[in-house]
Amino acid sequence: MEPKTAPEKFIVPIGPQHPALKEPGHFEFTVEGEVVTNATARLGFVHRGMEKGAENRTWIQDLYLMERVCGICSHVHALAFALGVEKLAGVQAPPRAQAIRELVSELERIHSHLLWLGVAAHEGGFDTLFMFSWRDRETVMDLLETISGNRVNYSANVLGGVKIDISEKQADAIRKGMDFLEERTKHYLKVVTEDETFLGRTRNIGVMTFEQADFLGAIGPTGRASGVKRDVRVDSPYTAYNDFPVKLVTHTHGDLEARFIVRIQELYESYRLVRELVDKMPTGDLTVRVPRRIPEGEVISRVEAPRGELLYFLKSNGSDTPERVKVRTPSLCNWSSVLVTAVGHNLADMPMILAGIDPCFSCNDRIVTVNRKTDSTQMDWEDLRQYGIEYYK
Amino acid sequence: METEKALELAESLLKDFAISTNHPEANRVDFVIDRKDLKAAVNTILVNKHWGYLSAITALDNALWKVDETTKQKSIDPSGGSLELLYHFCQAAAVATLRVSIPYNDPKVDSICDLISSVSLYEREAAELFGIEFVGAPNTDKLLLPDNWPAGVYPLRKTFTSLEDSAKG
Repeated sequence: MEPKTAPEKFIVPIGPQHPALKEPGHFEFTVEGEVVTNATARLGFVHRGMEKGAENRTWIQDLYLMERVCGICSHVHALAFALGVEKLAGVQAPPRAQAIRELVSELERIHSHLLWLGVAAHEGGFDTLFMFSWRDRETVMDLLETISGNRVNYSANVLGGVKIDISEKQADAIRKGMDFLEERTKHYLKVVTEDETFLGRTRNIGVMTFEQADFLGAIGPTGRASGVKRDVRVDSPYTAYNDFPVKLVTHTHGDLEARFIVRIQELYESYRLVRELVDKMPTGDLTVRVPRRIPEGEVISRVEAPRGELLYFLKSNGSDTPERVKVRTPSLCNWSSVLVTAVGHNLADMPMILAGIDPCFSCNDRIVTVNRKTDSTQMDWEDLRQYGIEYYK
Repeated sequence: METEKALELAESLLKDFAISTNHPEANRVDFVIDRKDLKAAVNTILVNKHWGYLSAITALDNALWKVDETTKQKSIDPSGGSLELLYHFCQAAAVATLRVSIPYNDPKVDSICDLISSVSLYEREAAELFGIEFVGAPNTDKLLLPDNWPAGVYPLRKTFTSLEDSAKG
């Protein structure tokens, strides 16, 4: 029998308390049957007003503020900011500092890619892979803690250089860690390219063609999995990437499988780079002096975060506080492209497709201002605890 | 070398639109254009010639500051200043920026969503935080600010200090 009316459209809201991702975001998928016909996003649930906050703080304070834009790739944010400020001030960090900055960047990429591998596996229902990859990720977390004292905000950068040095003992620990991780990564590459059930969730799913990825501005591993040759480390080398260059990893299929393969192969590149850096670390000073007042001007600072190109636009008015700090994080670019390409896929594939770009919400959501009406509505720890007890009574 | 070539190409593509051209850094070129030419310029550089990709849209509030002679207090002079949008296009190391000045009393510019659908999130960010209206944008829902955020309050404008101050007017 012919249906008398057009097929009904349903809107499926997902989030903000997302059942799969560990960060808040709200999506609305319009579906016809199982097939997604439109996708929209509502972000901002972890907005903190950082761009505005940066205008009220000094350049030095802002370094620490910007390091907290993202909890996963904290170092690249501080790095992009520091490189921009140094460019404005007309100074350059010494070679050893530049090499240490690259070393921490690559260690951070390893931790971020392994974290993503676990999350993406979890989305697909492969919790064993999730637990194994997160167990192995502890190796690099321990290394970061050994060299900086912290697992998350390593705070390696200062304006004009770095504040941590790498001793021979630490270098040995790093070498050992890389050997272990390289062996484990071989296993992961085998799983994601050979396991039948895994391929069922990733092969030919969420395909973004080269033309789409190129034109819509997909970046990082998401773009490179579609054959887009964009990597700031290669295109516009910063810190020590000229002396310790990285090889571009791309794939042509543009599906979820390709995004897995690109990230895992990038891990090998990072292991190689980390070994080379600790073996051939230049000697010398760790810092140069940067003036408190930064000369007037505008600068664009681009670095390659684990998720893709991170862009900072800094404007100085000649004082000790910035006129404008604009942060464009890679997740924002990739959201835009993935929402466009989600159309036409099955609803059941959405969690994997969303996780496939390695989204990071705190990055997107840095700009909002905290809504404090009066002081009396502010809650301290004890108030919050009481509120929680009352709420669940 | 490649960067220079890319910048030269961008200059030749946009020479008809540019009111002025500036090289703020070795790998960058800025084009000041009129806001009515924005769509045509984006169409030329990106849609027709595929020069790089649109990497970011930066919004600026170029407020005019005045200093009181006696108290040395800095305050905003409402008689001057303007908003500005910067459309950054990146091709490898080269960055070409279209700069569009937007007056406070008529903060409107054409949306380029129909040229690049993925640009919607960037435009919505600038719309919410700076109060710039993107004419023809397909989606103007709240993206970042809370649902109960008061209308007409734009947190990244220099005049914004706090919600309490905004409520007082």
